[in-house]
Amino acid sequence: MEKPTSALLTGDIDHLDLDDQDYQKILDIALSQGGDFAEIFCEYRLYSFINMEEDIIKETAESISLGLGIRVISGEITGYAYANDTSPIKLKKAALTAASIASSQEKHKAAPIIPEQPVHNAYPILQPAHKKSLEDKIDLVRRAYMAAQNYDPKIQKVKTSILDMVQHVRVINSEGLSITDVRPLIKLTCFAIAEKHNQREAGYHGGGGRVGLEYFQEDLTPERIGEEAAKESLHLLEAALPPAGEMPVVLAPGHSGVLIHEAVGHLLEADFNRKKTSVFWNKMGQQVAKSSLNIYDDPTIPYFRGSYNIDDEGTIPQKTPLIREGRLVGLLQDRLSAKLMQATATGHGRRQDYTCIPIPRMSNTYIDKGEYDPEEIIKSVGKGFYAHKYQGGQVEDSGKFTFSVSSGFLIEGGKLTSPVKQATLIGTNIDILNKIEKIGHDLQFGLQTGTCGKEGQAAPVTDGCPTLKITRMTVGGQ
Amino acid sequence: MMPGTETEPKHMDLAESLVSYARKEGADEVEVAIVGSTEFNVDIRHGEIENLIEAGSRSLGLRIIKGQRTAYASSSDLSKDSLHRLISRAVKRADLSSPDSCAGLPAAQRFGHNIAALNLFDPQVAELSPESKIELAKKTEHIALQDKRIVNSHGSTCETRIIKTTLANSNGFSQSYNETYCGLSLGLQAGQTDEIVEDYWSSSKRHFDELETPEDIAARCIARTVRHLHPRKIPTQQVPVVFESTMTSWLLGFLFACVSGVSVYQKTSFLQDKLGEHIADNRLTIYDDGLIPGLLGTTPFDSEGVPAQKTAVVDQGILTNFLCNTYAAKKLKLRSTGNAEGTGVAPHNFYLEAGSTQPDQIISSLDKGLILIRTLGHGLNPVTGDFSRGAYGLWVEKGEIAYPVAEITISGNLGSVLRNIDMIGNDLEFRTPICGPTLKIHDLMIAGT
Repeated sequence: MEKPTSALLTGDIDHLDLDDQDYQKILDIALSQGGDFAEIFCEYRLYSFINMEEDIIKETAESISLGLGIRVISGEITGYAYANDTSPIKLKKAALTAASIASSQEKHKAAPIIPEQPVHNAYPILQPAHKKSLEDKIDLVRRAYMAAQNYDPKIQKVKTSILDMVQHVRVINSEGLSITDVRPLIKLTCFAIAEKHNQREAGYHGGGGRVGLEYFQEDLTPERIGEEAAKESLHLLEAALPPAGEMPVVLAPGHSGVLIHEAVGHLLEADFNRKKTSVFWNKMGQQVAKSSLNIYDDPTIPYFRGSYNIDDEGTIPQKTPLIREGRLVGLLQDRLSAKLMQATATGHGRRQDYTCIPIPRMSNTYIDKGEYDPEEIIKSVGKGFYAHKYQGGQVEDSGKFTFSVSSGFLIEGGKLTSPVKQATLIGTNIDILNKIEKIGHDLQFGLQTGTCGKEGQAAPVTDGCPTLKITRMTVGGQ
Repeated sequence: MMPGTETEPKHMDLAESLVSYARKEGADEVEVAIVGSTEFNVDIRHGEIENLIEAGSRSLGLRIIKGQRTAYASSSDLSKDSLHRLISRAVKRADLSSPDSCAGLPAAQRFGHNIAALNLFDPQVAELSPESKIELAKKTEHIALQDKRIVNSHGSTCETRIIKTTLANSNGFSQSYNETYCGLSLGLQAGQTDEIVEDYWSSSKRHFDELETPEDIAARCIARTVRHLHPRKIPTQQVPVVFESTMTSWLLGFLFACVSGVSVYQKTSFLQDKLGEHIADNRLTIYDDGLIPGLLGTTPFDSEGVPAQKTAVVDQGILTNFLCNTYAAKKLKLRSTGNAEGTGVAPHNFYLEAGSTQPDQIISSLDKGLILIRTLGHGLNPVTGDFSRGAYGLWVEKGEIAYPVAEITISGNLGSVLRNIDMIGNDLEFRTPICGPTLKIHDLMIAGT
């Protein structure tokens, strides 16, 4: 096993000034009412933010978040308390509050704490943003801003910002686990507005992930981010609203991963299946799509926004097959659902921060590549819609989902023709899975800027897919 | 002393001492806000506790201005050493921003409101026992599960929050206030395996006595869920659409984003050049009012200390004001409307005045059309006013509800919707900070089969 050798590991979580003995004491108090499991989640997070608009660096911000959450599980019941005042009295009170949901005569003791290490390092970065000067980051912001501004005289307004953070996490539980992760995250985004004949349109681009500043030299330059945002706004000036109705739809590679996130991913989170509210709960092992469809969620992909070395319950994450050859084979499991469903935790227990209970979440979700040439897929459509970029999506447990297309094209006679904007696609997940007719060989991932919301908790995610052809889908437009 | 927040009285001292400290460190202007809160939340599912969360927390926000350059900082670590370091870094960091002639705190202003009269704090919420909150949530779900049509439950939740906000700045502002919130909510599913439908209902108030009862919430939630059963698809067409009051709320939420002074100076609103112009039907009057006693959006002052007020946003169809913080107001040469929330703006009670028509009269006026009951997704574009969303509705023929519809989208433009209002309901209820009555829109595009 290789130990992470990141420049990040500095032990900053020790800001909490607590040692193993303190943790052990808190866990014992947390179990004192008869809970089966107790856990402490410690978090120390630093954010830095720079915003440029109207040609000036308008503001900078720094934020510190420090606190811990104490969780007690008794059967299916979870008790939770958190504090950012880490005095012994407050922590004892929080442990007793979390403990109070249990009332069993059978009292467990916490096992002795044995420190462990993550087994892989998803962020082998060279220049952690939080160790670089603010001037370096201001330079990136300016370059993206100028690139968008100077791209075309029709660009009327640009906004660029960079947000970077480092999150130190330590999980200690009553089974004796103690494990730490130090997660970097960065996001450089540009928003541009183009204007022509009193019509205005906005374009957006961005990038980042769990990367260092070297990413902006090699993978995606600030200039490229600015230009892409400008290009999109100009493209939309020429775009019309799409026709409304049911039609064949081709999804562009990469960005269209949001479809898989909404249409399939959420409903394969274990909690919805354990509670039987997901339409998939009784379909495990069944054929739910054509045999060419494979879907994975993989928290271990290096540098990706959705990746982590341990999940927020301390579990080592694994690449998890969800649909293999069209058959439903897996769920995204956290500890609680895995235990209640007698399954293995897959390392998908995530939480927004120390104030939140961990729940099963996606990380980096994607449809694996198929065998079709993307050109051929477009050629196979006489009249239809090509969805290119998205604003986001939403799904309900009943399987109805929508996603909002910000830009796309009409397909006429097997060719992309007029640009279109602002369309909503709507469908039902089981139905749409069966309508994925052709899968391209061009797997790509969307922008490394996505955030997913569930039960009020935000989590960074990435999703991806190759070019896909959907037989028919309802497109909302004019 | 406020129950559950025994350390809070120190917040004013801390805030004032940090203002002095930052001035000594070289800041021209300083603003310090401290929020302390106590949260309780219990989720019940199938009669048992699923999650119980109880916690107290606090956080501090800071704005430093030096030579017209601004730096922000925030922390949940309130130890003095840590805060002093944060301030010193922010003062240094301000040098890296660009000078901005609009930067600055609001001018010192007399603070006029009687906080007690705003009725933001209910001691009963603060004193409610965990057992009684658990019982309320259990009762709500239990009543709903008695109904044979309900096949599963997303659970019910009872929550309370007690918040103390303290704000001090270098222009001599120094005030704090306490507020309470309580909420009860429920989510249900009906129908068979591959035809599951679902819906939710919730009540959220500052005062416990005003909260809807478990019986009311269960009944509303059941009715809202089962009316989705056996939906049909409909062909693509343009028809009159009735917005239920909850749907009027989302439409107004979109309008709020377009009358925000921040969006306007950033040129991201389709209404940016329309101040003083007719943008809506003559019968439309929309206010933002932060001073109605006891409501969710009521507050004595905004995040910069500017007193809340009643602002007419649309007056008989004319766009009369943008909602501004101090910065946006300076940019636009307007006055702050007391809507600051961090670097942005937030609504207080943002509402469309009620009309005179009964909602059922509005429905019976439809020869053929759709009642919009829920939307799904994100398709809102403030730059153009275009919207496009997934939708659920009830199809109406000859004034009668015929059947539910699903898997459709509605799309249109906010600018034209505001001018194409046919009828305004008399059913305005302040259930959420942004709210309005039932509305009938002359026609909207619906995409279906």
